[in-house]
Amino acid sequence: MATTCSVTVTSDILAGFGSVTKSMTLTKAGTTNDITETTGYSRRKLASASKVDLITMANELVEPLDNTAGKLYIKNVGNSQGVIDKSVGVKVLINSVEVGVLHGGDWLMMPVTVVDGEDIEVQPATDDVVILEYAMYYEEG
Amino acid sequence: MATTTAAVTLSSDLMQDTLSVSTETTLMKAGTTADGLDQVRMGYNKVPTGTSFDLLDATAAGADKASKVLISNDTTDETYYITIVIDAKEIGRLYAGDWMFIPWNQDDATHDLEVTAFGGTNTISWWCWHEGETLPTSAD
Repeated sequence: MATTCSVTVTSDILAGFGSVTKSMTLTKAGTTNDITETTGYSRRKLASASKVDLITMANELVEPLDNTAGKLYIKNVGNSQGVIDKSVGVKVLINSVEVGVLHGGDWLMMPVTVVDGEDIEVQPATDDVVILEYAMYYEEG
Repeated sequence: MATTTAAVTLSSDLMQDTLSVSTETTLMKAGTTADGLDQVRMGYNKVPTGTSFDLLDATAAGADKASKVLISNDTTDETYYITIVIDAKEIGRLYAGDWMFIPWNQDDATHDLEVTAFGGTNTISWWCWHEGETLPTSAD
C-alpha cells in the first residue's frame, strides 16, 4: 500500500533551467516500508482572520509516532465558488512559528514532526471565505 | 513576466478507494495576481553530521515576500536523514529520497532555514524561487 508524490517545477527565470522533477514514496522512518496512517483527505472552511489549528496532533485518532517521517500536504483552493485569489493567502504555522503563506491556488508538501503540541496552525489574511484541503501521512505510535 | 509553475501529483491507496490529487500553481510575487517570481537560488550540497547549517539565510528584504523552497534529500541510504528547522523550530525530517516544497516567509532575520544531517553525510539539492533580493555591497 503505497503513497507516492511527485513535484515538477518549471521556470523561465533562468535561461536553460527548464524544469526539475522529484518523486518520492512515503516510507516509515529509516526503512523502505510504506507509511501506513493518514488523516484522509480533508477540507476545512475558514472565514475569519483568526489563527486556528488545522491539525491538533494530540487529537489524532491513531496516535502518531513522534519525530519520524510524517508528511503534510495542504492546498489553498480559494473560496470554492470559483474565486482563487492569488493576492491574498493563509499563513501556515507550526506551534506559532510561521512557515509561509499559501496564496490562492498554492500548495505545500512538507515534513512534520507530529509531536503533541507541534500543531499545524493556519491564519487567513482576511475574513473572506477560504478553503484548505489537506492530508497528513504518518506512522502509528 | 517570468513564469514559474509548480505541479504536484499525490497518489495513495491507504484508503479503500485510491486517492489521486494533481494540481498546479503559478508562483506569484506576494500580493499580486499578475507578476511572477523573478529570482532563483539553487544548490547541491554535502551535509556532514554534527553541525547545523543555514541553508537559506533570512533577510529583512525577504520579509513577507513569496519565496518558495524545494529541498530534496538525494541520499540513498534510507537510514540517513536531515532535519529541517525554521527559526529554531524543527519542522520535520527528510529521509533519503524525500523532498519538500513550501512557501517560506522570511518573517524576520532569525527565520533562517537550517538543515542538520543524521546517520552520515547527506546529499541535498535545493531551489529557492523568490523576489526582492539585492546583492550585498562588497566590504572590500
